[in-house]
Amino acid sequence: MNQSVAVVGVGNTRYGKLPQYDSYELGLWALTEALADCGLAFEAIDGLIVNRIPDYQRFCEIAGLNPSYVSITPGQGRFSGICIETAAALIRDGIATTVALVYGNNGRSGGDRYGGVGDTYGSGGGGLWFAYGMTSPGAFHALMARRHMELYGTTAEELGTVAKTFRDHAALNPAAVMRTPFTLADYHASRYICEPLHLLDYCLINDGGVALILTAGERARDLIQPPVYLRGYGMATALAGSSFPPDDFWRAPMRKAADKSFADAGVSHAEISALMIYDNFTPTVLFALEGFGYCGEGESGAFVAKGHLALGARYPTNTSGGHLSESYMQGWALNAEAVRQIRGGCGERQVKDCALVHYMATAPVVTSIIYGKDPA
Amino acid sequence: MRPLPVIAGPDQPFWEALRAGKVRVQRCGNCGVYRFPAARFCAHCRSEKFDWSEVAPTGTVETWCVFHRAYFEDLEVPYTVIQVRLDCGVRLFSNPVGIEPRALRIGLPVAAVFEEITPEITLLKFKPREPTQ
Repeated sequence: MNQSVAVVGVGNTRYGKLPQYDSYELGLWALTEALADCGLAFEAIDGLIVNRIPDYQRFCEIAGLNPSYVSITPGQGRFSGICIETAAALIRDGIATTVALVYGNNGRSGGDRYGGVGDTYGSGGGGLWFAYGMTSPGAFHALMARRHMELYGTTAEELGTVAKTFRDHAALNPAAVMRTPFTLADYHASRYICEPLHLLDYCLINDGGVALILTAGERARDLIQPPVYLRGYGMATALAGSSFPPDDFWRAPMRKAADKSFADAGVSHAEISALMIYDNFTPTVLFALEGFGYCGEGESGAFVAKGHLALGARYPTNTSGGHLSESYMQGWALNAEAVRQIRGGCGERQVKDCALVHYMATAPVVTSIIYGKDPA
Repeated sequence: MRPLPVIAGPDQPFWEALRAGKVRVQRCGNCGVYRFPAARFCAHCRSEKFDWSEVAPTGTVETWCVFHRAYFEDLEVPYTVIQVRLDCGVRLFSNPVGIEPRALRIGLPVAAVFEEITPEITLLKFKPREPTQ
């Protein structure tokens, strides 16, 4: 890759219940923070992609922005990675020099529901299957988790370990919504939502906003914060037939995205300091560890049980607490955490000598981004 | 209430067949791949030619989950949802009839049960398939 691209500004709102703000206002709050973080003015933004915010024109009107390039993306978590990779392409191709990515989510106060009448998860929504009681992204992942358990012997304890580990991390993050640690016994005692998944296997629903500012590497070095470079990235999809869970737990697209991002970054798994894994539900973390090559097929449960994801262990993962415990910011806050970990200064949750962080999201659209302290 | 399936739409031949105790899905007139729900074009070869073809009312369980949270007022929890692959290749979500969750396993052979819920609507559910002699 010829020109380096870096994240130079990161901003977010408070997370939790913010009923006085709509998604536009949450986005603008986060954008203001991100610009202050890097010392750029609103006028410096010449590329803008909004995510989950319903109307780009209204957002620009509220924010007083006239970017050269503008686009809008649907409120699905897979789009955080897509937006970041697209921003890098816009910068590399000279379409924009400074791109703002703005996400606003008022799902908690807006009363968003992920199941039942109005469920639109999947390809065109699941209305056809309501008569059988089938609904919700949680159930979709419960079906996958059950299959993984049957095929590989994955256990509830292993899923619980993922949830517990991220909660332990959130306890060290003042911004996290859920900070009270729990035990595996608490996990088992938490009610089932869709068996085999318990309440603590599900991400939160909350309000908040996140913004990232990206620019070319040579411009990045003049700004306030040390640049965090996009060393490698890749995308792949498994959209055909995606009304049903994939037989391979999305391994094929993950492998493709991982191979490209590691090749472009010129690094190996062994060099990665920390992982940020899209954790809408705990089983997704297991699927990602296998698909992105951190362990073998079917080995993710045992891998997690060994404690590898904890701070201080081999691959500290979701050091902010992730979607399960920090905030459900649909990948955005995990990317913000990747940047902050590489900058240093994450306090008690700081990963030692953090030079390379791998963000990965698995769904019918897979994204993979390797962030680095150094441009190459 | 759970919304009931819309009969008068592209899937109408499927629902009419269930009322008659049969399973019919679309079959591509070009490549022969079966599909459901209805689509104008085949996702494999993009042909617009198709017919509604009766298929064997048998398949296997691919996975399952048990709902403990009630999303629909008229469905009493817990209830089980199974993912079934019909022998023709079409996948469905459904409910097991006469199979406890602990008896479910990947690859369990199942056969259709036609469950009339209103005079117009019959649902396609599944029971264990008898071993063939």
